[in-house]
Amino acid sequence: MTSATARIAIAGSGCVLPTGWGVEGFWSAAREGRSAIAPLQTPLFHSERIAAFGQINDATHQRSRQDVAQNLQRYCPPAVIWGVSAARQALAEAGVEPGRDGLRYGLYCCQGGYTHPSVASYGELLQESRTDNAADMNRLARQVLQERALDPFLVLKSLSNGLLGVVSLALKLECECNAYMQGVAGNLAALRQAHSALQSGRIDVAIVVGAGSELDPLALAALAEAGVIGTDGSRQMLAFDRKGSGGIAGEGAAALVLRRAADLPPEPQTCLTALFAHPRLDALSLPDKQVDLLISSATGTAHKDADLARTLARTGAAHITSSTALTGILSGAPSLVDLILARQMLQAQSIAPIAGLTQPVDTHLPFVSGEPRDAVLHDCLVINRDDNGFSACYQLDLQADD
Amino acid sequence: MSATRIVITGMGAVTGFGFEWQTLWEKMLGAEHCVRPWQPQDLQDNEFPVRYAAPVDMTLLPGHLQNHPAWTLPLEKRSRFGWVAASQAVADSGLNPGQLREAAVLCASGAPQHMLADMLLTQAPDGAAPDWQHLMARAAEVSAEGSLRQANDRLARVIADDLGCEGPVINISSACAGASQAIGNAFRMIRRGEVDVAVAGGADSVLNLDTMAALYLLGAASGEQRWGADLCRPFDRDRSGLIAGEGGGFVVLESLEHALARGATPYAEVLGYGSSLDAYKVTAPQPEGRGAALAMQAALDDAGLQPQQIDLINAHGTSTPLNDVAETLAIKQVFGRHKHFQTLAVSANKSQFGHLIAAAGAPECIVTALACLNDLVTPTVNLHEADERCDLDYCAGQAVSRRVDYALSNSFGFGGLNTSLALGKYREHGQ
Repeated sequence: MTSATARIAIAGSGCVLPTGWGVEGFWSAAREGRSAIAPLQTPLFHSERIAAFGQINDATHQRSRQDVAQNLQRYCPPAVIWGVSAARQALAEAGVEPGRDGLRYGLYCCQGGYTHPSVASYGELLQESRTDNAADMNRLARQVLQERALDPFLVLKSLSNGLLGVVSLALKLECECNAYMQGVAGNLAALRQAHSALQSGRIDVAIVVGAGSELDPLALAALAEAGVIGTDGSRQMLAFDRKGSGGIAGEGAAALVLRRAADLPPEPQTCLTALFAHPRLDALSLPDKQVDLLISSATGTAHKDADLARTLARTGAAHITSSTALTGILSGAPSLVDLILARQMLQAQSIAPIAGLTQPVDTHLPFVSGEPRDAVLHDCLVINRDDNGFSACYQLDLQADD
Repeated sequence: MSATRIVITGMGAVTGFGFEWQTLWEKMLGAEHCVRPWQPQDLQDNEFPVRYAAPVDMTLLPGHLQNHPAWTLPLEKRSRFGWVAASQAVADSGLNPGQLREAAVLCASGAPQHMLADMLLTQAPDGAAPDWQHLMARAAEVSAEGSLRQANDRLARVIADDLGCEGPVINISSACAGASQAIGNAFRMIRRGEVDVAVAGGADSVLNLDTMAALYLLGAASGEQRWGADLCRPFDRDRSGLIAGEGGGFVVLESLEHALARGATPYAEVLGYGSSLDAYKVTAPQPEGRGAALAMQAALDDAGLQPQQIDLINAHGTSTPLNDVAETLAIKQVFGRHKHFQTLAVSANKSQFGHLIAAAGAPECIVTALACLNDLVTPTVNLHEADERCDLDYCAGQAVSRRVDYALSNSFGFGGLNTSLALGKYREHGQ
């Protein structure tokens, strides 16, 4: 079936997150309500006010590097390496092999927002060119040009389509493509494009990848100034909790392989049945029918999460949970991570609790806390909101083959 | 293919030629270019090896744009150019605020404008890692006009807020193919019925020390001095690399039904969009032009056109040794089997207003639309002796008057991604 009504299923998923390498580790952490947010470790700056981060540890990063050829790594900031690794995981689960299976592919990528090269990349160069109050720019230029003090690949590393380029090279994909930027809006655009390309029959397999990191002092400063992350030194992010004092940033990558359900083996599939968006959360279209499960991003700030809860109440969902407290606020793959979690929960018929939740912002809403909860789950909504208010809603159904 | 027809009803372009598409078109038909001597603003020694560029000349700012808020709000230069171009496109379309309310905004704005001096502020004087207090204190001094203070989707948000667009706001990020992908995505969104109106394009400026240094070190930017300001020479045997420009371009796309209902007159019709990946190298195109050919073929297929129907290709034509040969080979792969190939016009715009990087595809789409509208093809200037491997009709030297019913506009980017848009002359009763 290649029409606007063709059902689109998630055929594979992969991730590199603060919870570790792979969906299994993420799902275990989610079921156990075990947050991977940890004390921030960076040589770039010291802070008592921003003390925690959802950080990819070195073992996870090294595991991811195994998925990227050495000659490609020079073009890659860490997030791009994680993105390639997540894409490989998703392809493996989906059982497809680009270039070998005769299928037509599409690649749709989303990279996080602050893609300027890390201050660390320039640190030494800037120090050497420092004068009393500024930099000797002529000297700096000479160092760059004559001594190659600047990594010539820096401009490539800072390109926000770097993820698209490197994934295509690593996977040998010559297919149609799109690259988007920034959080929920970028994830939504990539998913929409993938969804419609599959429905049109133009492609057979859509690979959607998101990756990003804000582990950079200026990016974190910008997030703090914008009120996205808290500055009270908190080491725990509390989602939908009355004690929540602010968000904590995280980093990582996630990937989905989407296919037409009709092209997959006759077994229950998790299908992405609808995508909605609006610049304002309160105007976001929501499905008419009640759903079994709702996954929502959280801000970690009590009064903002209480506002958000009012929209969540409109869904009439039987259970509400969130992944944000597990990983921190992600810039490159927020929706993809929640879709992975949704699929896991629908397949397992089990709901992961909100990590650390003890005092819900709204006691009338069915937030899941404490232990994982078994339930009969047919459908799930994912609601994600960017810090600028842009909001997206995805609907997933667990569907048997016709 | 869908029955929904999509047309261009508004255009805005900010380039080294000025701030209006009419100026751009007039100068291009006159075979002029706006490349001139350039050095990074921060340097005084005049030793920077990249000596020419096509910057926007603020002395050309017309009176009616002098009070545009883009010039006063804290924005990066690229965002100022993009905002003005988008405003111009919307004004040109005649859409009113009510008609824009559901419109989508799709924008490509490239890599951030780095400011090394700003980065220095975050460094502790002794070279040790700064503490948070130091960082925040100095971060407040970081220029509000630099990228360090601005997320990469700032331009898209500014345009949407200013125009009151409540439809999807999408930030495309596809290097030098960015603006073309923005227009292609907008085309598809309208065709799918998601929106009736979209404002799509891009803006960019890489005319700063660190980006130009990196482009030079990568071998992409030309440091040639032999030809003075005429050094951008697409398809010429003496081409030596890209010449950067800056600016922005936006088009208003509408479903034909929506456009006609409000009495608008389309400039041209967008018929198809194709994209592809080289999967070859990050910094070089696939030498036989395989990816570029796939994108052009995909655009033709999407438009329901045969290769022999195409009259003009607005080439990516960067004036780099690798691109121009690969693009020529790609064109031959797609069109070479047909007789009309001998008369197929190929024109490159970058020797006239430089390479606008992420924004490049937008003014080039505008020029392609105008070629369809006016049956005029702008010249490839500075092409004097074609590379022997570049053996197509590149319309060297001066504008050509010829029938243009259908055209392709190519944009290719670092990372090996390729985009092609298929445009056609607007006809009341369809193609």
